[in-house]
Amino acid sequence: MKKIQVFDPALCCSSGVCGTEVDQTLVDFSADVDWARQQGLPIERFNLAQQPMAFAENAAVNALLERSGESALPVTLVDGEVAFAGRYPKRADLTRWLGEATQATPDQAAKTSCCSGAACC
Amino acid sequence: MKFLDLAPRFVFFTGKGGVGKTSIACATAIHLAEAGKRVLLVSTDPASNVGQVFGITIGNQITAVNDVPNLSALEIDPQAAAQAYRDRIVGPVRGILPDSVVKGIEEQLSGACTTEIAAFDEFTALLIDGVWTQDFDHIVFDTAPTGHTIRMLQLPGAWSGFLEDGKGDASCLGPLAGLEKQRAQYKAAVDALANPQKTRLVLVARAQAATLNEAARTHGELAGIGLSKQYLVINGVFPEVEAAGDPLAQAIYQREQEVLAHLPGVLRNLPTDHIELKPFNLFGLAALKQLLTTQSNTIEAPDRSADAPKFNAPSLSSLVDDIAIEGHGLVMLMGKGGVGKTTLAAAVAVELATRGHEVHLTTSDPAAHLMETLHGTLDHLTVSRIDPHEVTEAYRAQVLATKGAKLDSAGRAVLEEDLRSPCTEEIAVFQAFSRVIREAGKKFVVMDTAPTGHTLLLLDATGAYHRDIVRQMGSTGRHFTTPMMQLQDPKQTKVLIVTLAETTPVLEAANLQADLRRAGIEPWAWVINNSVAAANVSSPLLKQRAQNELREIEAVATRHAKRYALVPLLRDEPVGVTRLTQLAGTLG
Repeated sequence: MKKIQVFDPALCCSSGVCGTEVDQTLVDFSADVDWARQQGLPIERFNLAQQPMAFAENAAVNALLERSGESALPVTLVDGEVAFAGRYPKRADLTRWLGEATQATPDQAAKTSCCSGAACC
Repeated sequence: MKFLDLAPRFVFFTGKGGVGKTSIACATAIHLAEAGKRVLLVSTDPASNVGQVFGITIGNQITAVNDVPNLSALEIDPQAAAQAYRDRIVGPVRGILPDSVVKGIEEQLSGACTTEIAAFDEFTALLIDGVWTQDFDHIVFDTAPTGHTIRMLQLPGAWSGFLEDGKGDASCLGPLAGLEKQRAQYKAAVDALANPQKTRLVLVARAQAATLNEAARTHGELAGIGLSKQYLVINGVFPEVEAAGDPLAQAIYQREQEVLAHLPGVLRNLPTDHIELKPFNLFGLAALKQLLTTQSNTIEAPDRSADAPKFNAPSLSSLVDDIAIEGHGLVMLMGKGGVGKTTLAAAVAVELATRGHEVHLTTSDPAAHLMETLHGTLDHLTVSRIDPHEVTEAYRAQVLATKGAKLDSAGRAVLEEDLRSPCTEEIAVFQAFSRVIREAGKKFVVMDTAPTGHTLLLLDATGAYHRDIVRQMGSTGRHFTTPMMQLQDPKQTKVLIVTLAETTPVLEAANLQADLRRAGIEPWAWVINNSVAAANVSSPLLKQRAQNELREIEAVATRHAKRYALVPLLRDEPVGVTRLTQLAGTLG
């Protein structure tokens, strides 16, 4: 079973509606996360403003923050490995991980979109 | 006093600011303590002055009031609570995460919703049985101004439901998300509020239509969330014996009796008490002990036969002459609720409009009666209102229609859920506010702002926005102006602090001025409203009150204000263009 962890920047709330300007990316991603969870993909989200300890305790995330500061966020880990940094996964990525999670064939759906893996377009 | 009979464990006082909630809450706490009960007096007002009333420093922890056996007091300071909350979150990661990241977290946690929620969290702890409160028989709450109170009391209901539903993983509880483990506490707090055996709500009003309408609104809203055991106290009622022989006293008495004879329908069946207007200021223990006694004039003033003071002070109209010089700009009237900001804002707007300037008069006061005050219209004057409830609804609809346009129904449900968070109102009000003040480059914008606590939260939201813009634009080197910069520029913005010539209101206004200065805003002038000393009086009670005012007027004129104006108490309520002009211009 894949385990997805998303480390958000310091947000008032994860959909971003609490900012002075609503961020469309956050609105879309929140909807995607909700959808993926209902499909059975376990996704955890951590908000830097609420759970900073989770960031401090994760070696990979802490190292990214040391190197690039808060602009490294959001960071997405799949089974503990950095999958995305600086942007959120798209629904296609979540779909792929869902497929991998249910079929347990890790490489099946890889490289189907331009933004898969740690290298982002 | 009916509201004191068989008092339950929790007694809440609520009402429009300035009606005397703090005094009555203090007097009630003293009364219960003297009857041998162990009492805790709690203030949740962001501009609390309970400590000032007792002449001691109280602050964020339970403090014994030495002069009154069995009485302790606590001030829940929202700012301090928010700081404690920030320390709890940020403390453990300091030195582990990079400094810039830690700073970013603190920035995020300095917003209005953190303040609100952190204060609420402390408030909740008092309503459940625990080590904190088990030693007390009664907990008396001098609540924040009404709009704030309602939101605070509504939150337990909203949030308990939210947490139980578990929809959208409670993502937009903001800082409360970290407190989810305490859901049982919120549930218990809601249950205690809705239990008439445990909770009594005392609506405090004056014999004035605006404060009674406010009480009627609060009655409905709080009954709606289950706070059904309600009492009404009408404070500062002008005694009949004082009305004879003085036209102003007679007019005040008749005006009040007229209002009392036509109470809003929902209030008529509530158990009701009247507290007479006293010749002394409600400050200090001796005065407070006298407040709830039924016989009038128990303190005999030594110089009641003395002549009412006569002097010349600047009129509001003369201040407006100076304001008008710029030709445009933002004029904000600030001060505690109930000091008459709404009326004075209308008077300033009318004065500017009659001088031929384009004026937009607007209000963000949740309890505003601006439209009621400005009967009739005037050339060059437009009137609008920032109704927090309305702008929040409009904001939600707009976000759903734009940002939520492409979402499926499940996605929309998540977004809708998040838009129900307490932060949404702050943002919506703030956005409406910045839209209006942008107009001040071309014409005059006169704002009657919300009561002090809310005003400060609003300004804080503006400040957060300012920092956001600076962060975004700082590197581009482009020229920009933020609302905060506009508020700090005396050429663009004039802040008028409104107060009454009484000890507590002047202290509160001085505190407000200090807060504004910390935010880099220098108040331009003070306006002392409803001054008896500036009116012609012969009634001994009014003469004594006029005498009491002198010290306060002196303090404002010499110590607090750069410039000031004195507005007399009028025989008729200042409603409509003609009477507003009288208010600003001529004395008496």
